[in-house]
Amino acid sequence: MSQAFLEVKGITKKFGGLTAVNDATFSMDRHQIIGLIGPNGAGKTTLLRLMTGILKPDSGSVRFMGKEMAGKKTWDIVNAGMVSTFQNMRPFRRLPIIANVMVACLSPRALKRGEWVKKIEAKAMDALEFAGISDMARENASVLSQGDLKRLEVARAIATEPELLLLDEPFGGLSPAETDLMAKSIKRLHKGGRFGRLHSEGPAMIIVEHKLHWLMQIASRIIVLSFGTIIADGTPDEIIKNPTVIEAYLGQGGN
Amino acid sequence: MKTILFYIRKLFAVVKNEVLVLPSRVAVIFFFLFILLLPFFTDDVYILRIFTLASIFAIFAASWDLLSGFTGQMNFGHALFFGVGAYGAALLNLHYQIPPWGSIPLGALVGVAAGLIIGIPSLRLKGTYLALTTLAFPIILLGLVFTFPGFTGGELGISGIERLAPTRVQEYYIISVLMLGLCTIMWAITDSNTGIIFHAIREDEIAVRASGVNTTRYKLLAFCLSGFFAGIAGGLYAHFMRIAGPSTLEVSLSFQVVIWAIFGGAATIYGPIGAVFFLYPLVEFMHVLKDYRILMFAFVVLLVLLFMPDGLFRWLREKVEEECPRCKVRNIATRKTCRVCTAPLD
Repeated sequence: MSQAFLEVKGITKKFGGLTAVNDATFSMDRHQIIGLIGPNGAGKTTLLRLMTGILKPDSGSVRFMGKEMAGKKTWDIVNAGMVSTFQNMRPFRRLPIIANVMVACLSPRALKRGEWVKKIEAKAMDALEFAGISDMARENASVLSQGDLKRLEVARAIATEPELLLLDEPFGGLSPAETDLMAKSIKRLHKGGRFGRLHSEGPAMIIVEHKLHWLMQIASRIIVLSFGTIIADGTPDEIIKNPTVIEAYLGQGGN
Repeated sequence: MKTILFYIRKLFAVVKNEVLVLPSRVAVIFFFLFILLLPFFTDDVYILRIFTLASIFAIFAASWDLLSGFTGQMNFGHALFFGVGAYGAALLNLHYQIPPWGSIPLGALVGVAAGLIIGIPSLRLKGTYLALTTLAFPIILLGLVFTFPGFTGGELGISGIERLAPTRVQEYYIISVLMLGLCTIMWAITDSNTGIIFHAIREDEIAVRASGVNTTRYKLLAFCLSGFFAGIAGGLYAHFMRIAGPSTLEVSLSFQVVIWAIFGGAATIYGPIGAVFFLYPLVEFMHVLKDYRILMFAFVVLLVLLFMPDGLFRWLREKVEEECPRCKVRNIATRKTCRVCTAPLD
């Protein structure tokens, strides 16, 4: 039996008396895009942070490509191929945009994958080009707008050439036109291939998002969280019709 | 012959097109020339002594900038590295008769060890907590020095150390050339890929971790590098003054280096060096003012920090140079168009 690509088992995190993520269990295959949805405060971001090691889980396990990831350092998890973006963007504001991406290009994983790339800068430039902000590469990151900061987050994440990409609200704060563009580039990234000196592995993705309309177009599977518990798991069509999901979103008798 | 001519021509081209076009680079050339040619203009022992000490403290201030200015690990106890380097070199020289060229690097290695010792417990701390913790380490060591006077000389310190060189001018050249070399190395470190990661750690450590970079390793590297350079400064100080006393561990020295770095402009390397070469002779030559000397010093420092919060030398650089809005190449402020992409400068 081949091992699952990603297997999250019984992961739990408590903040004082509040159980942010409660016994979440799911697994995914190499070529899936999972949409992770749920009302505000459902624990979506916490779940991503538990997976990438920014927060330590109280109990449970995360197995990624056959290796246990729970309790490991964030950089080890990134170098194993699982990388996430931040919901509230965290650029290095006083550094040029290109330097922001160069930090990710200097991670051991990115260096090993791109041994043939002599100039780190060139690879960072390709990541920016993919994200669509290469024309501003020399500006300080502090000049970027919300939408461009989202792109910078994506560029920084894909510069490590991940196998699994966790996107935390990639459409948050984007206009409809920008959202369309972002959705397209996410699809393109998922197909994989070479973007200049940057190689996309065609990463599997978990996308946390509130804009369900666009998410349903990209994702092949939706997981619904409510109060830290997974209440539904299925294809987009199933989820829309699921009465539990409708109740969690709109309250009882909301249909 | 042809190849030699080629390289000479290339050198001239680089000097003409890259160095002479920017006032800051010309200033650096003048600084190098000033340091190297000073003994030809004066053989006054007092002046040479001031600039020798300024060179030592310039290494020290630049090493603080490498750790606290770039990596953002606020170190308020930087005198620890200086004192450890000084005591290490002095003890090695006195007890094992190791000559200065051996005892100073070995003393600096003790500084590296000190960097590890305070770096490892400091990894979990940030901001104010880190600053206060680092402040404690030199005070602890000072207590140890007073507790074991037989080994450390107690309040009198260790005296009778070998001189660096027989004459003052030779000592001046050894120390100033070392200063120019070490500061260039520090600048090169901060200008490299490692420097980008140092910058990024200061900005947002969690984001660096999430980019797959082992921040623990880089923070310890910063502590060790800083300890190494400060240790060399301490060793040079011990061999120049021929005494390693408790004054090298004092709290005032820790704060002096912070003042120098902030005054010149933190996270620049050239800022702290310039600040030392500005403030140290200034305080010395102000001795004509007698008791008002420290008051004047405080006045100058406050004035600079009030009107140039980014530091004196960064402020000066912004005044005489302008960044091209299009290609981000620096230009002299008098130019109307960029020297590379010819975009208009406003």
